[in-house]
Amino acid sequence: PLDHSHHMGIYHMDNSTMPPHHHMTTSHSHGGGDMMMMMPMTFYFDFKNVELLFSSLVINTPGEMAGAFVAVFLLAMFYEGLKIAREGLLRKSQVSIRYNSMPVPGPNGTILMETHKTVGQQMLSFPHLLQTVLHIIQVVISYFLMLIFMTYNGYLCIAVAAGAGTGYFLFSWKKAVVVDITEHCH
Amino acid sequence: MAMHFIFSDEAVLLFDFWSVHSPAGMALSVLVILLMAVLYEGIKVGKVKLLHKTLESLPTATSQQLILETDQDSAGSSSPPVNRTHLRWFLCHFGQSLVHVIQVVIGYFVMLAVMSYNTWIFLGVVLGSALGYYLAYPLLSMA
Repeated sequence: PLDHSHHMGIYHMDNSTMPPHHHMTTSHSHGGGDMMMMMPMTFYFDFKNVELLFSSLVINTPGEMAGAFVAVFLLAMFYEGLKIAREGLLRKSQVSIRYNSMPVPGPNGTILMETHKTVGQQMLSFPHLLQTVLHIIQVVISYFLMLIFMTYNGYLCIAVAAGAGTGYFLFSWKKAVVVDITEHCH
Repeated sequence: MAMHFIFSDEAVLLFDFWSVHSPAGMALSVLVILLMAVLYEGIKVGKVKLLHKTLESLPTATSQQLILETDQDSAGSSSPPVNRTHLRWFLCHFGQSLVHVIQVVIGYFVMLAVMSYNTWIFLGVVLGSALGYYLAYPLLSMA
């Protein structure tokens, strides 16, 4: 049980650690006193001319920033909820336990029966396909959140962190209570 | 900005005031980032330990009752002992959520530091993660 949850834990944690993706277009000129950087590399608080993920999403007013804050907050909350939902689905679909018994040569020419117990899903089963689809959605959302944090905009970063915390609080509440101590691993 | 790893003693990390321009400053910054990565790994284990501790500190009868109650979604009409347990559980879960926020923020900070494409910083993150994992994960299997 510990091994399996460890595997789940690493898989779970890999989606919390965003690998950096490099699509930056920063021009940094040294001579002539021109210090224009297209992409900020330090945290700032501003709502003017903030590009958000797509070229058509540019924030220019406090109202638009407030709307973006709420949207990012909800996205981060949804991400946490999706993580918890997938864990629950995985646990529920792993009721099938297959036993394989194989004859194995033992000492003194005897034959022992070795029994392997496999807990898992079949590849073409609906739960596994559903998990795959949800996985893709989770990966895409996690990269979006990373890119949002990469804007270095203080308001949006706070929205990500607050949304993650609120989502974790709301969705983990019930799940944490019914979990089995021996197999719980984040 | 270079789009490849470079060895350099100059970098600006995360905040405007964190600008490095000397070997000593870079060494100190690498140390700070290393400790951040260690902390991140430690928090991951810490969350699980915190949950174990709370589940163990609840007497088994009440924890089972807790499970039953949340499953049946019963609200109110709880006897006083269960109410106290609920409050303790709520506080623990709220604390866990705060720890989760810290974990998310530190994870993003480490990611942004690696984004500086400074090789020293990157090595600091790798070493810090390795050290943090090495120190923290044995604590998981301890009772």
